[in-house]
Amino acid sequence: MVAGMLTVFAILLIVIYGSRMLITIINKIAPEEAKASPRAASGEVSAKARAVLEAAVRELTAGKGHITNITKIQ
Amino acid sequence: MSGFSDIIGKIFDMTAFGSLIEEPSFLLMYLIAFGLLYLGIVKKYEPLLLVPIAFGVLIANFPGGDMGVIQANSEGLVPLADGTMVNIWDMPLHQIAHEFGIMNFIYYALIKTGLLPPIIFMGVGAMTDFGPMLRNLKLAIFGAAAQFGIFAVLFAALALGFTPQEAGSLGIIGGADGPTAIFTTIKLAPHLLGPIAIAAYSYMALVPVIIPLVVKLTCSKKELLINMKEQDKLYPDKMEIKNMRAVKIIFPIAVTTIVAIFVPTAVPLIGMLMFGNLIKEIGSDTSRLFQVASNGLMNAATIFLGLSVGATMTADAFLNAQTLGIVVGGFLAFALSITSGILMVKLFNLFSKKKINPLIGATGLSAVPMASRVCNGISTKYDPKNHVLNYCMASNISGVIGSAVAAGVLISFLG
Repeated sequence: MVAGMLTVFAILLIVIYGSRMLITIINKIAPEEAKASPRAASGEVSAKARAVLEAAVRELTAGKGHITNITKIQ
Repeated sequence: MSGFSDIIGKIFDMTAFGSLIEEPSFLLMYLIAFGLLYLGIVKKYEPLLLVPIAFGVLIANFPGGDMGVIQANSEGLVPLADGTMVNIWDMPLHQIAHEFGIMNFIYYALIKTGLLPPIIFMGVGAMTDFGPMLRNLKLAIFGAAAQFGIFAVLFAALALGFTPQEAGSLGIIGGADGPTAIFTTIKLAPHLLGPIAIAAYSYMALVPVIIPLVVKLTCSKKELLINMKEQDKLYPDKMEIKNMRAVKIIFPIAVTTIVAIFVPTAVPLIGMLMFGNLIKEIGSDTSRLFQVASNGLMNAATIFLGLSVGATMTADAFLNAQTLGIVVGGFLAFALSITSGILMVKLFNLFSKKKINPLIGATGLSAVPMASRVCNGISTKYDPKNHVLNYCMASNISGVIGSAVAAGVLISFLG
C-alpha cells in the first residue's frame, strides 16, 4: 500500500515539477503564441476559424450543408 | 383437444414465463435494471453510461435470450450446451457468436481483449482541457492523495480473504474511473469484471450523492466558504504561462514519456489519453482525427462497453456473497478516496498561509467533469459568488492521471 501510494505521489510530483520546468523553458524560448497570419489579418479567415465554421455548419445541417465562401465583415 | 393443449404448452415453453417461475432471481435483476434506468433517465446520473449498462443488465436476464455474458473460469473454460467444457480462448469469434450469442462476441472481442478501455481513454483525452491543471499545478497533487482509497481497500480486501489480484481489482474502483477499473480487472481478475465494472460505473454515476455525503461528514461551513479567487489575489502565483498553446501541445508528449519510463504498464491508458489530448491541442491540422476520437469512436465504444458490461450482470454472476463484498468494498474505496483528498487539503491548510477549499481535494478522484460540477454546486450553495469549478478541474484532471498510474502500479505489482 505504502509503495503504491508513494509511486503515485512521485509520478504526479514529477509531472507537476516537469510541467513547471516546461512552462519556464517555453516562457524563455517562445514567450508568445504565434501571431495570426497576415492573410487572416487582411480579411481572409484562418484555417482554424474555417475548420470551426465548417464543423458548426456540418453539425447544424446534419452533414448536408457545406461552406463555399467566407467573407469577413469589417 | 390434446393437440390444442400441446400448442398452448409449446407457446408457454416459447415464452420466458416457465424459467421465471423456476428462477425468480431474474425478477430481482429486472428491478436492478429498472432502478439503474431510473437513475440514468430521470435523475440524469451519467445517462451516457448508465442507460446502456442498465439496458445490458435487462436484456442479459431474459432466459433463452442468449444475451448474457458467459464468464469463463480462472482457466478460461466455459460450458457448451451439451455440457462439455472448452477453453474460450481457443474458440474463434464466429464460434463464440454461434454458441453463446452476439453479446459474447462483442464482450470477448472488444472488452476481454482490453481494446475498448484505451479507446475510451483516447476519447476522454480528446475531450479534456489540461489548461486548468496547468494554471493551478499545485492543486494537481490532490489527484494523488485521492488515490488512497484504492490502496486502503486493497489491504482490507486481502484481510477479508480476496486474492491479491482480486483485492487490487476491487480497490481500483476507488479511482472512480470506469475504463481504468475495467482495464485493471481484465489484467488481474477477469472473472470479477462484471460486478467490478457495474460497481465502478454505478458509483461514478452516484457522484452527485456520494461527494455531498462525504463533504457533509468531513468539512465545516467555514472551510467550504474559502474563496479561491480571493486567496489567489492575496497570494498570487508567480508562475505565468506566456504561450499556453505550446505548453498544451508539449504537455501530453512529455507526460506520456515520463509515465512510460516509470510505469510502463500504465501506457495503454495514459498513452491513449495523451494521444487523444494531443490531436485536440494541435488544432485544425488534426481536427479530423480529433472529431473521430471524441465523437464517433468514443460514442461507439461507449455503447458496446456499456451494453456488454451490463450483460455480464446475469443473475448467476451477480447474486452471490462475493459480488455483495465488491459492491460494499467499492463504495468504501470510493468514499475513502474522496475523504483522503479532503484530509490532504486540510493538512495543507495547516501549514500554508494560502488556504484551499477542501472541495478541491474531494475532486482528486477521476469522474471528470462530474465531480468538479458537483463540488462547484456545493460551494455556490454556501456562497453564490464562490465558483471553484476551474480549481476543482485541476485536481480532477490530475486524478485521471493518478488513477491510471495507480492501475499501472497494481498491474506491475500483482499481475
